Amino acid sequence: MTETAQQETVEEIDLTAANQVLDKYQDMHGALMPVLQEIQDHYGYIPEETVHLTAERLNVYASQIYGVLTFYAQFHLEPRGKYIVRVCMGTACHVKGAGRIGETLQDRLGIGHAETTDDIKFTAEYVACIGACGMAPVIMVNDATYGSMTVQKMDEVIEKYKAMD
Amino acid sequence: MVNLTIDGKEVKVSKTATIYEAAKEAGVHIPVLCYAKKLLPYGACRVCLVEVEQMKGRLIPSCTTPVTEGMVVTTMTDEIRKVRKTVLEFLLVNHVVECPVCDKGGECDLQDLSYEYEVVSNRFEGEKFDLPTDEINPLIERNMNRCVLCGKCVRVCDEVVGYGSYSFINRGFETKIATAFDRGLNCEFCGQCVSMCPVGAILPRPFKFKARPWQLKEVNSVCGYCGNGCTVTLGTKDNEVQTIRFNDKTGVNDGNLCIRGRFGYSYVNSDKRLTSPLIRKDGDLVEASWEEALRRITDEFRAAGSASGFISGARLTNEEFFLLKNLAKAVGTGNLDHSGGECYKGLTEGLQETLGIKASTATFPQGEKADAILAIRTDFYETHPVFGMVVNQAVRRNEAQLTVIGDKQGKLTRMPHARTLLHKPGLEVNVINAICHVLLDDGLVKTEGLEGLDTFKKALADYSPDAVAAATGVDADAIKQTAKELATAENAAILLAYGLPYTANSKALGLAAANLSLLIGAAGRSGSGLYLCGEKSNSQGAIDLQVLPSEGALGVAEMLSSAAEGKLNALYVVGEDMLVSYPGKTLVEKALDKTGFVVVQDLFLSETARKADVVLPAASFAEKNGTFTNAERRIQRLHAAITSPGEAKTDFAIFQALLSGFGESAPATETEAFTKLAAETAGYEMVSLDMIGDQGYVWGSDILAPETRNLVAVEGGTQLDARFQLVTGSALYHSGTTSLHAKGPMAVVSEPYIEFGREDAAELKVVEGDTVKLKAAGGEIVAKAKVDRRLPKGVLFAPYHFATLGLNRIYSGQTAIAVDVSK
Repeated sequence: MTETAQQETVEEIDLTAANQVLDKYQDMHGALMPVLQEIQDHYGYIPEETVHLTAERLNVYASQIYGVLTFYAQFHLEPRGKYIVRVCMGTACHVKGAGRIGETLQDRLGIGHAETTDDIKFTAEYVACIGACGMAPVIMVNDATYGSMTVQKMDEVIEKYKAMD
Repeated sequence: MVNLTIDGKEVKVSKTATIYEAAKEAGVHIPVLCYAKKLLPYGACRVCLVEVEQMKGRLIPSCTTPVTEGMVVTTMTDEIRKVRKTVLEFLLVNHVVECPVCDKGGECDLQDLSYEYEVVSNRFEGEKFDLPTDEINPLIERNMNRCVLCGKCVRVCDEVVGYGSYSFINRGFETKIATAFDRGLNCEFCGQCVSMCPVGAILPRPFKFKARPWQLKEVNSVCGYCGNGCTVTLGTKDNEVQTIRFNDKTGVNDGNLCIRGRFGYSYVNSDKRLTSPLIRKDGDLVEASWEEALRRITDEFRAAGSASGFISGARLTNEEFFLLKNLAKAVGTGNLDHSGGECYKGLTEGLQETLGIKASTATFPQGEKADAILAIRTDFYETHPVFGMVVNQAVRRNEAQLTVIGDKQGKLTRMPHARTLLHKPGLEVNVINAICHVLLDDGLVKTEGLEGLDTFKKALADYSPDAVAAATGVDADAIKQTAKELATAENAAILLAYGLPYTANSKALGLAAANLSLLIGAAGRSGSGLYLCGEKSNSQGAIDLQVLPSEGALGVAEMLSSAAEGKLNALYVVGEDMLVSYPGKTLVEKALDKTGFVVVQDLFLSETARKADVVLPAASFAEKNGTFTNAERRIQRLHAAITSPGEAKTDFAIFQALLSGFGESAPATETEAFTKLAAETAGYEMVSLDMIGDQGYVWGSDILAPETRNLVAVEGGTQLDARFQLVTGSALYHSGTTSLHAKGPMAVVSEPYIEFGREDAAELKVVEGDTVKLKAAGGEIVAKAKVDRRLPKGVLFAPYHFATLGLNRIYSGQTAIAVDVSK
């Protein structure tokens, strides 16, 4: 832990949405999980300021919330890209060259597993199996699935989303 | 009760006991790492596994398994030994073995167990932790590479302290203990986690590389700071207090301490301590012999006679107070007082006029059993943090309903389900009156045996919840609800602290609290209590021994105004830095200037001492024998652990010498003095030193019954009409002015501050660290701004401890000060 980490300033964000979520769950016992999920639904991640707000309003320690956030893989403490690119690394995909697909993503966008581009447009995630082995190697971009990927097809997909807003 | 057999021994224990507790009672040793007496059972470490005949097939964790009738327990077999050893091997897979340089070495549970189970090699291999050490704060070092994840720090910070610094973060192998966002520790720094850690993962930094545990001499004494009266076990070496050792067997605090108790000892070793008497010669204070100094004092006070005065702090021992009283008598004056005079009037006048007693009615441990607790002022946690932890346990563990009447938020108001009756400054009495109004109006309480009921009722007519709600800003329904809870609670506790920054309304508050306790029957009822707690370590002793003006003589306030008019010829000040801590600095200044001869007896050359004609170097609590009486009437013994620096003497020895200078005989020892003072002190008559055991001796027994039951009407306060109102009080990290010489508290709060609520800060565009100026009628103060969420709109706070702030230039004992804020 360094001095700079200690003094890290909290970015200013609009807490209205978080307050609305908390209004809904204020008096419910054991509401921490749904509160955090809904906050993440709105902001795309859990901003630090919302943790302190939640701690204050639900009378839960901030440390405890941080414990929950780091325990579950579903929560993210950093802003995430608009497009989440899930590269399947399951057995079938692995055999059919998923490694190359991941490398392409790394090469073109400069992001590896759990990393996000600086413009917060893309986040890469290497996942174990998305249950589409017949289409191996397969990737998902948000809810859309792309099968039988090659380096060339990967380029096309990347370009397609780059062109989008 | 339940009968069971442990290792062939028949044991009879309470049905709520665990196997571990039963074994302990039977004298059978079971090893533990994650168990602690004061924490709830957890079962994290699996070191305490035992065999239970009725539960064959697996080993049972003894620390979490309740006993059942007829249980047959075996605590050691070849298999148990093997399994425990394996558990230790697992723990040692990633534990960094740094025993040669680890400060825990010699008293480390993991080290001791590895030794006991002969874990000489490890069958398992894995990565060692390589985590950075938290060394940001100067008090508590966290080295998570040595952590065994027993969770004691997490639990004590939640269950006992109620701060919640720590949590387990991450998952599986990555799991570790961390703060929110895994930053450096930034908390109350009470060090409970230090005292709980079974290994060297959490250590007191000031003690690093100072001594091996076996080199320390341990001496049990009583903390010299506040009226909580916690036992501190001083670990000394080379005539210095090196650390405070964990001790949950002696005293009232169950091993719990606050930052002051655990890290505030270092003023004792300070090189700024006075080491020789000083006498003013040609305008300068120069070193002098004891003989010369004492002769000077005797001559001057003999000449001054009744035109002299004695002002004492409340950190002297009972024995020293006794000698001080005799000294005043020998000089021929009744002008004797302590602690700024006004602040204790809630006891000496408030409780005296209603209950006929001058002390809290119950003991601290009983507070944990309360199911309804009313704290008057949220500052109670700041002044008496360790009793605050008892309140936390009552709330968290026993689900007591806590209500706080306060002009600001604080630690207490943030406890689970706490209700805050947030009022404008100075209106506490109005709110208490409203509660009394509801109790009587709705017929919630029995009033048989209460004197003065009719007058009291009439006087409360103006304090209907609605009227008070309109005047104070407190919700009327919340007042009604509080009244109902207090009336129906089986055990109710009312908490109020007094001290130098709380002089305003002190008598009125004492009266109001006593009225309320009479109505709900909290005073004198077993399990309930009215706690009116003094700020300093022997505040109660000063009241018990009557370090007070005698009939017709002057108290502190009158002494100071009389002195300011040049009517006092000699003034003796013991253990008080009046210029800093007393309300009304101008008056104190004038009094010191106008008095012909001033003696100051202290540990340090305080601001007040700088103005004296003779300065005498006194001894700290660590250098004294004697007794303190804490805020729950518990008389406890101090034991000298080190000798005083240079020529400094105990206040006892100084008074002895002066008494003999006046031709009076003085008790030769503290023991003799106690016998004498006990004989003439109400409540102490039957007490002898050998009755004061490890848990002290509570005079008047655990429940002190009121002598009278008089309801006394008391008028509420009026609201100050000002946009910004400054209130003062105690900061958690400090106590009086002594802690300003202690490295621990100074490491956390080293300079004065002016605290703003978020709303005001936003409006004034004040951010943390800005230099702000407050202008009031008597002058102005300048300090750095602190922005927190405690204060409501319009209310500012400044702690009273700091000489550099000069708060008493604008504070003269009022409830709130109208101020203008500028940057």
